[in-house]
Amino acid sequence: MKNLRLKSARAAMDMSQQQLADDVGVSRQTINAIEKGDYNPTIKLCIAICRRLGKTLDELFWE
Amino acid sequence: MEYQLGVALGLAAGIGAGVLVVVLLFKKRILSCTFDERQERARGVAFKYGFFSLMFALFLYGMLDMVLGPWCDAMTGAVLCLCAGVTVFAVTCIVKDAYLSLKENPRTIMTLFVVISVVNISLGVVHILDGDMVENGILTFRCTNLAVGIMITVVLAVYIVNHLLRDRGEEAE
Repeated sequence: MKNLRLKSARAAMDMSQQQLADDVGVSRQTINAIEKGDYNPTIKLCIAICRRLGKTLDELFWE
Repeated sequence: MEYQLGVALGLAAGIGAGVLVVVLLFKKRILSCTFDERQERARGVAFKYGFFSLMFALFLYGMLDMVLGPWCDAMTGAVLCLCAGVTVFAVTCIVKDAYLSLKENPRTIMTLFVVISVVNISLGVVHILDGDMVENGILTFRCTNLAVGIMITVVLAVYIVNHLLRDRGEEAE
């Protein structure tokens, strides 16, 4: 299932997938896979993404 | 005996030089082993496929050797099986976007691959022209250059095709 909340939170900060990937220490393809719902990130990566985007885990990753 | 010793020493020198080049590439940060969690997982799956491919290739080599009789020397057989395993590993990694690490520059790595591929295929062609690739109906270790060259060309082709298809399919940012 696509993670549209992550995508919109990133877009709201005018941030590209590459920028977010660089900031959290993963590849652009990994961010793309998370947004497309092809990859379930570990809690460690979820927290890193939430911190970078200023969101909570509930806001980005909870159903 | 002297010839075999020469071959063994030549192989050892080649492996030593190869290790030295790889160490230098790591020191110059052209090669790196920094992968993210998705890549690590994908590479684990690729290792599994590569391992089973190697096992299958070794089994096939042994079977062919038993049924047809010796058709290549042991070193060639080993290298061909390794090529099969490594190709499956590399192709799986590329398809899963986990071949290059976070710090590797795709253009540099692909240039390196083109150089290695051209050198190996050229050496293979030289051996074909010299006619020393097959001796007494047995494929000799001189075909290993060609095998490695073809393997790297396949990996390169898969990388380029995957890159082109992926870019077309992904979101325009």
